[in-house]
Amino acid sequence: MFRRVLQLGLGPGRLTRGLGTRRGSFTLDWEAQVLEVKKKLRSILPGEPLELHDTSHLPPEHSDVVIVGGGILGLSVAFWLKKLEKKRDAIRVLVVEQDHTYSKASTGLSVGGIWQQFSLPENIQLSLFSINFLRNINVCAEHLAVVDAPPVDLKFNPAGYLVLASEKDAASLENKVRVQRQEGAKICLMSAEQLQNKFPWINTEGVALASYGMEDEGWFDPWSLLHGLRRKVQSMGVLFCQGEVTRFITSSSHMETSSREEVILKRIHEVHVKMDNSLEYQPVECAVVINAAGAWSGQIAELAGIGNGPPGTLQGTKLPVEPRKRYVYLWHCPQGPGLEAPLVADTSGVYFRREGLGSNYLGGCSPTEEEEPDPANLEVDHDFFQKKVLPHLAQRVPAFETLKCLMHPQVHSAWAGYYDYNTFDQNGVVGPHPLVVNMYFATGFSGHGLQHAPGIGRAVAEMVLQGGFETINMSPFLFSRFYLGEKLQDYNIL
Amino acid sequence: MLKIIIPTIMLLPLTWWSKPSMLWINTTSYSFLISIITLFSLHNHNDATHNFSTLFFTDQLSTPLLILTSWLLPLMLIASQNHMSKETVVRKKLFISMLVTLQVSLIMTFSAAELMFFYILFEATLIPTLIIITRWGNQTERLNAGVYFLFYTLVGSLPLLVALMVKRNQLGSLNIMLLMFNSPPLNPSLTNQLMWLACMMAFMVKMPLYGLHLWLPKAHVEAPIAGSMVLAAILLKLGGYGMMRLTIILNPTSIDMAYPFILLSLWGMVMTSSICLRQTDLKSLIAYSSVSHMALVIAAIMIQTPWSFMGATALMMAHGLTSSLLFCLANTNYERIHSRTMLLARGLQSILPLMATWWLLASLTNLALPPSINFIGELYIIISSFSWSNFSIILTGINMLVTALYTLYMLIMTQRGSMSHHMKTLLPTFTRESTLMTLHLIPLILLTMNPKFIMGHLY
Repeated sequence: MFRRVLQLGLGPGRLTRGLGTRRGSFTLDWEAQVLEVKKKLRSILPGEPLELHDTSHLPPEHSDVVIVGGGILGLSVAFWLKKLEKKRDAIRVLVVEQDHTYSKASTGLSVGGIWQQFSLPENIQLSLFSINFLRNINVCAEHLAVVDAPPVDLKFNPAGYLVLASEKDAASLENKVRVQRQEGAKICLMSAEQLQNKFPWINTEGVALASYGMEDEGWFDPWSLLHGLRRKVQSMGVLFCQGEVTRFITSSSHMETSSREEVILKRIHEVHVKMDNSLEYQPVECAVVINAAGAWSGQIAELAGIGNGPPGTLQGTKLPVEPRKRYVYLWHCPQGPGLEAPLVADTSGVYFRREGLGSNYLGGCSPTEEEEPDPANLEVDHDFFQKKVLPHLAQRVPAFETLKCLMHPQVHSAWAGYYDYNTFDQNGVVGPHPLVVNMYFATGFSGHGLQHAPGIGRAVAEMVLQGGFETINMSPFLFSRFYLGEKLQDYNIL
Repeated sequence: MLKIIIPTIMLLPLTWWSKPSMLWINTTSYSFLISIITLFSLHNHNDATHNFSTLFFTDQLSTPLLILTSWLLPLMLIASQNHMSKETVVRKKLFISMLVTLQVSLIMTFSAAELMFFYILFEATLIPTLIIITRWGNQTERLNAGVYFLFYTLVGSLPLLVALMVKRNQLGSLNIMLLMFNSPPLNPSLTNQLMWLACMMAFMVKMPLYGLHLWLPKAHVEAPIAGSMVLAAILLKLGGYGMMRLTIILNPTSIDMAYPFILLSLWGMVMTSSICLRQTDLKSLIAYSSVSHMALVIAAIMIQTPWSFMGATALMMAHGLTSSLLFCLANTNYERIHSRTMLLARGLQSILPLMATWWLLASLTNLALPPSINFIGELYIIISSFSWSNFSIILTGINMLVTALYTLYMLIMTQRGSMSHHMKTLLPTFTRESTLMTLHLIPLILLTMNPKFIMGHLY
């Protein structure tokens, strides 16, 4: 009735249509409308399942924290958020993962190594914390133990990580080992002869110094960690949703800094999560968004408006994380190094490790900037192995020469995975963005996100819940270093 | 009474024919004017009631509640402005119409002279509240909350309808003033005990009593701010008011029948206060605190002595203002952070110091700091319950302690502590929000100076 009053108006001369018609809302299909109403009424009656609008596949309409990305970093942040909340169910967490099969996620495709041989003390501390976490992973109520579920078997091989350095790198290697020892890692330095004694299968030509981790280094199975974490996190009450984040609804406010400069601060209010293969999306109202999207973090950051601005300013600083494709090759060599082979990082950048107990080895190499493969798909380039990896491999480990001799490659299989590569300084970004105030990052670790995941998760959870880093001080990893130009230079990244 | 009811009804055409830019201004200012009119009924020589007609009357019990109701409408409108700003104009007008309809039913409820009239309007308040909760609430759980709210209250009040009809047949009239003089004693027999239960259960559910309180945390948490305010401040008091009116016709059965309910409410008071200590959701904490305060009121009304009635009315008024104030404060948090979890909203004192003042004052009144009217109400009730039974002082004493504990816990969690990074750039307090808080606090402070207005009809 009110609408008619509004439409007809009160004054004279506004009676533009008669009283009997309505604008456009009448369809002539009376029967179908009656049937629809009847169906709706029947579904409201008790005893019938409510089929009006089934939203069980959609995420909830409200969540306190939305974690974009359900890989190892996202799950680790979810785990620590739930662990550090002081009361049960205090904080509602939603993990949005684009692909529940994790077919392209970096976690599953990772080589799975863990080592402490970094040059930044924070990285070393992160690795030490992670190995401790992984060691105690099944301790009841501590880490990933879930009632009535089988324990997590990480298949940790503590074979160590061997870094080979040539003459010119020898001095810096010594310095790095000193820092590592200060932090508590157990690394031993070996000269070329000692190396030859310990690992007779290595050709020590060109090697001046080698550092080898005596403890806490090796590799493990990233899938078991991922699934163990997923199970635990679900038991702690975190909600999962399969979907893609398509939009952030933000609000801006203009503020002035103390030096009278104007800043525009943005706050994310809602996250639009779109379902697969459909146009349906759900706006999720949230207080905090955590960007743990791995290789796709750059796109998520752009959605939030990070980097929209004149270059050189804080608004214009983009998140410099982009996907980079890396190949991993698996080959068989019965005369190879054997069971004692650690994860070896050669002076040329080629790395390999033993895989399983059947004389299989896997390894690869980071291509140089010019040879970067196209990250559009995960196709493997076998020529890369022949041209770039194999010569150095064969030179370092003479037993691998046999791989060269045959007409077709002896590579059993190969796969490719993405690094969430930080083009700025190849080290991760952790912590909030200065302008988009409720977006926190946990990404950009360029290949060592997996081994640092427990530590990073705890750091981000502390930042969200307690306002600062309490245990490991990750402030060098904040976003603002991209704007200030302070690079965190670390070791030769594998 | 028509001088209040007709202007309130006329607020409806005011909302629909206002220009969209003047919508909130018009409705808020006119509802303020209406609340001034209600102040006129405060003027009472001796104990006489203001008999406006055979349908409407006010006495010292209903007048403070009436004034609170009409004072609260402009406050609800001020509080809803922000979250309604994004809706279409028609939706905003619908929302305001719901509030006004609810207001009309509430005014008529509190000034009803006849119990049947009171009952009809008591039920009529359910519909606009249900619409407000389910249509404008924030989460999907609001549907569940609405269902709980509606059906708990309806099931409780259906026996009341039957009981009132029986009584009317028995007594000839249900006019409250007549009932004071011509109600025969209700001797304790099974039928009469069932009659007592039928009369009281509706109000027990509404208050709510501890065992029947499940609807309250749901409804309060899921409702929008105006819904929470009106629920906490007024609708709970409907239960208390109804119980006070009906006790006239229910003696002496009340002497025996009241026993389990007093015990339940004394125990429930301590229980719900303890639950508050474990809450992580801010609105849920305030909702449970409401249950705890109302349990004191139920115990007082069941005891039926002059002091306890005075305490009950004082506490109802004080709690109405305080609870509504706390919900408004929680809403200012929610509008900024979009989360009700207390963990994520800490250390606000450093960035919003004026709001911290309001938080402090609200917490102080909530924990019944003397000489606020909360304290007067609680003190009277505790004294009368001590005289009813010496052992009850243990429970009421524990309750005062735990109330102070959880109120301070809420204050310190939200105001003190270190801030997270995403809190440092919250929008500063709006003048509108500060106005809202002062308009809650000024009556509280003024009444502290002169509490005889809220002491009810046995003063």
